[in-house]
Amino acid sequence: MTACERLLRTHRPADGPLRVLAASGQLGYGIPADALERGLQRRPHVIGCDMGSIDPGPHYLGSGTMAAPAAMVRRDLELVLAAARALDIPLVIGSAGTAGAAPHLDATVALIRSIAQEKGLQFRLTTVHSDLQAEQVLEALADGQLDPIGPMPLPTPDEVRECSHIVGQCGTETLARALQTPTDVLVAGRACDTAIFATLPEMLGYPTALCLHMAKIVECTSLCCRPAGRDAMLAELDMEGFTLESMNPLAHATPASVAAHALYEQADPLEVDEPTGTLLLRDARYEALDGHRTRVSGAGFRPRAQPTLKIEGAAPIGARCVLLAGVADPTLLACLPQVLAAVEDKVRQLVPGAWSVHSHIYGQGAVAPLPDARHGQHEAGLVIEFLAPDAALSRTAAGVFKQNLLHHGYPGRVSTAGNLAFAFTPSEIDAGTAYRFVLYHVMRDACLGDIFQVRSHMIGTPSLH
Amino acid sequence: MSATPLSALAQVVRSKNAGPTLLTIDLFFEDAQAYARAAGSTHLAPDAVAVLYQRDPGDVQRYLLPSIHAIKYTMPRRICAGDPGDGDVYGAQQHAALLGVLL
Repeated sequence: MTACERLLRTHRPADGPLRVLAASGQLGYGIPADALERGLQRRPHVIGCDMGSIDPGPHYLGSGTMAAPAAMVRRDLELVLAAARALDIPLVIGSAGTAGAAPHLDATVALIRSIAQEKGLQFRLTTVHSDLQAEQVLEALADGQLDPIGPMPLPTPDEVRECSHIVGQCGTETLARALQTPTDVLVAGRACDTAIFATLPEMLGYPTALCLHMAKIVECTSLCCRPAGRDAMLAELDMEGFTLESMNPLAHATPASVAAHALYEQADPLEVDEPTGTLLLRDARYEALDGHRTRVSGAGFRPRAQPTLKIEGAAPIGARCVLLAGVADPTLLACLPQVLAAVEDKVRQLVPGAWSVHSHIYGQGAVAPLPDARHGQHEAGLVIEFLAPDAALSRTAAGVFKQNLLHHGYPGRVSTAGNLAFAFTPSEIDAGTAYRFVLYHVMRDACLGDIFQVRSHMIGTPSLH
Repeated sequence: MSATPLSALAQVVRSKNAGPTLLTIDLFFEDAQAYARAAGSTHLAPDAVAVLYQRDPGDVQRYLLPSIHAIKYTMPRRICAGDPGDGDVYGAQQHAALLGVLL
């Protein structure tokens, strides 16, 4: 019997609290081993790990690559796989490989297979594929079924076709379907953070509102504590509420720190939209059990008739080359934007083609708008990106721009030997293909059963004796 | 009472994306008194914050959370996270404009 089947058959909420161990909020950056070990000693019923996010930007979804270093992803996967198999409890991993598209899921599954082979582990792996085909989105677009989230334009059909990957965020409705199949380890493509931690508790009969609220807080592990950390977090869930406890004895879940975390990365602090409904936090209560643990209760839930689907898509926009340099001359600092514009004009004459330039002038408002009077007087950092249809052109534009900027004459110039300080050469660096988000929309009336494909895999070869 | 910058009154002033199209800013205060002073200040009214962030009036939504001594603002990002020209993909350094607001 698989770990999921056993849990679903044997655990009843009346038996006592369900112990959910959140091992990682971003698998692949080094799970703190001590706290994980302390969590395992508490005999959790399930281990959950979030492995991705849309936060790192369009590159990872667009390119199909992982944001976290592969060696560290493998190390973290080894830790949680070994733990879950040793305790024979379900392991749920969501948003595989950063962005949760097919190449991310495939790379994650390949690592799991390799680890299982090396460690001699055998188990049932269930995967959830979160990819949408462009045709599915085009149909929704034509039917007026796409709603932007925030200020996102509706895409043109061509922009949809240009997306290298399109994913949907699966929720508890989909992970429940997957976890009803024999499963020891579940790896989902793009998934709602909450679904990773809320689905099994909800299937066991714990109140949806509590499951989702608990999931929303533990999905970042000990980030909800003071001091905040990345250590494993334990939630003990019952029918009336849940208790949060960091597995790092020095990271304390206080009512203030936990309540504050409910606001994190969240547009509306009181009503949180999830695929199956809205989590209502207006009456949520946070009470200290002691200096280390907080008890949470009171959340509500307003279900909706049909689950919604949030989709994400990224498309390539060309090749990026980046020029890095510093400026310390006070006269040049005072006219830097004008000089950059003049140099661009010169380079346009020299390098024809559809390249664009985007200047980030650190010390002069690259991060946030800054009035001239507050510009840094000592030095400024230049990060100038060049985008072009191909790498040869972006590199050419960057190189020619660099040399023209280095020797550009401007009124009052005294530093006639060169305008730029380079920390190293080459100072122009190929940054690969650049992407942008084309889709960040709700797709109405989507057929989730068709989109999210659930597959079962036997991992490891049964022993011969 | 002499004017105090928000940085001296608040325990936490943080910004972050809420998805790639929205920016959300959270202010946390030690106690009800500090919270009330901030929540009651015209300098932290939604329209004042819209001016500070060069957004259209009405673009900034404010949530007052007295039970946890917190104020949240949510506004559209200037451009979608990661689009060419974006200077803060995570939106994690957009809080700074608020630090000097006098209360």
